[in-house]
Amino acid sequence: MKEALLEINNLCVDYVSANGVARAVNNVSLTIAPGETLGIAGESGCGKSTLAFAITRLHKAPALISEGEIIYNGRDVLKMSDKELRDFRWNDVSIVFQSAMNSLNPVITIGEQLTDVIVAHKRISFKQAAVKAKELLGIVGIHGDRLKSFPHQLSGGMRQRVVIAIALALEPKLIIMDEPTTALDVVVEREILNELYDLKEKFGFSILFISHDLSLMGEIADRIGVMYAGNLIEIGDAKTVFSKPSHPYTKGLIASFPTIHGPKERLYGIPGDPVNLLRLPSGCNFQDRCADCMDICKKDDPLLIELNVDYHAACHKL
Amino acid sequence: MSFLLRRLSFYFTAFLIAISFNFMLPRMMPGDPIDALFAAAQGKMDPAQMDAVREMYGFVDGNVFEQYLSYMQSVFTLDLGPSVLMFPIDVTTVVGMSLPWTMFLALGSLIVALILGVTIGTYSSYRREGFFGQFVPPFLAFISNFPYIVTALLLFYFFGLQLELLPLAYTYDPAIDPGFTLEFIGSVAKHAVLPMGSMILVGIATWVFNMRNAMINVLGEDYVTMAEAKGLSSYRVMYRYAGRNAILPVATAIAMAIGFSFAGSIMTEVVFNYQGLGNILLKGIMARDYPLIQAILLILVSAVLTANFVADLLYVWLDPRISK
Repeated sequence: MKEALLEINNLCVDYVSANGVARAVNNVSLTIAPGETLGIAGESGCGKSTLAFAITRLHKAPALISEGEIIYNGRDVLKMSDKELRDFRWNDVSIVFQSAMNSLNPVITIGEQLTDVIVAHKRISFKQAAVKAKELLGIVGIHGDRLKSFPHQLSGGMRQRVVIAIALALEPKLIIMDEPTTALDVVVEREILNELYDLKEKFGFSILFISHDLSLMGEIADRIGVMYAGNLIEIGDAKTVFSKPSHPYTKGLIASFPTIHGPKERLYGIPGDPVNLLRLPSGCNFQDRCADCMDICKKDDPLLIELNVDYHAACHKL
Repeated sequence: MSFLLRRLSFYFTAFLIAISFNFMLPRMMPGDPIDALFAAAQGKMDPAQMDAVREMYGFVDGNVFEQYLSYMQSVFTLDLGPSVLMFPIDVTTVVGMSLPWTMFLALGSLIVALILGVTIGTYSSYRREGFFGQFVPPFLAFISNFPYIVTALLLFYFFGLQLELLPLAYTYDPAIDPGFTLEFIGSVAKHAVLPMGSMILVGIATWVFNMRNAMINVLGEDYVTMAEAKGLSSYRVMYRYAGRNAILPVATAIAMAIGFSFAGSIMTEVVFNYQGLGNILLKGIMARDYPLIQAILLILVSAVLTANFVADLLYVWLDPRISK
């Protein structure tokens, strides 16, 4: 295995509220190799976005990283000073947020939103940065004259392209994509994903792709991790996770997607509701919704076990 | 451009309605200034003399409608006739002398309160867990919840009467000749500290809280998180990305505040005997000096509408989404 670009070890993120402490990310360890696309899937509230935010320490109170370490290229992100952190952000890791509609400031031109990040990190003038910004817009297929436009003058797809251009501005080695195409229609989604792939070929960055759309992920990710109630319950190469999942939750997730081909079947859903993070049961978090629940599941937490080379799942049945 | 025209026609209509009220209001009050003059003369005037005086002040010729027309004419030609109170000085001259002081007081205090309030509001919301964010806004709320008159009189008492640090009355020392001299400007500044300070003290909390609330909403937006993720300086995130948006609702509030500031300056001028419009207005009302009252109301209406228009333009400049 190649040297990891990003290594997360036993990371725990807690939300502290008056009703108690909710652990949104529990003991998660994972690595991302250079040039690799890692997908993180899971339902709403499973902690996947919290995990993504924690990587550049963007989580806000009441969220709190209580344990673990995040090693990027040998440096511990959690030990960086404010200045080091500012330099680290975007230079090394950039983020494409959930909805492009909201991640561009409505009263600042896209040109300024592109150039300011360049100027903040490089010793160049706004004028030079503007040239670079024009180039970046060209890369994502938007005419350079659009620099003077405000976000409301662009369509949804164009806005997401602008956001991707901003993410590429400093040629980071890792781009975190938090459901980057959720707000777009399927045609635009397809276009953007294709472009993203070309860009990845060209620049060679790694992607941490966060989505609830497993089928999309099966297509673009090299490896997939599945999270449930803050735990990473299965992680391995995309093909296997998608075609031969080991964990009952992953099986349920994949079975909840309709297939276009073949006879019509009644869709399978996962019974029950996600667990309340404030009142976790002892033992496996998935026990109430699991068809194969055993006695041991109610007593002990299942640990991630290695099923194959680079393939892990956490279930007592395995 | 069509936006500008729309706003302009709106303000012109508002102006016409306001000056019509201006015409009606004093006429709804009982008595007229000549009666007051007659009462003051204690019967030493004969009716013929009174009629002459009436005519001179433009009160008799024709019915209300004709009076209205001549009033409108005088408004648009700025020929508002002589003052009853300070006869034979022209109303326009009287107003012209005191208007700059009121503008100075009302707009000056508004601008200072606005700048301070917005800055404090921005900072206290961005650092709302810290000492500044926890302590300063509630303290300002406490201060501004005193009735204005209490704050003004307390300042008046401590700084003017007890400590004798600051002058108690007038816009500048009457012994100094007005002009562009250091001495004169110093005197004006010294005389403005208490009246302006009291208005700022009372007004600032509004802006702090307006800005703070708007900021807290904006700080939850994705584009602020993205600005942080971009590794921009916290100064830039705070003012350019969050503050720039949070100021939009505040800019709307400015338009309303301008009117209140002018109204507030009337009380201030009376307390500190500041020689502005408010002071003259009070005297005019006591003397039933209709031409003077109308001129002052006219000026106040114009000033408020103009300021509102400026606030509108400011809003267009601040929010590029509006201008269509």
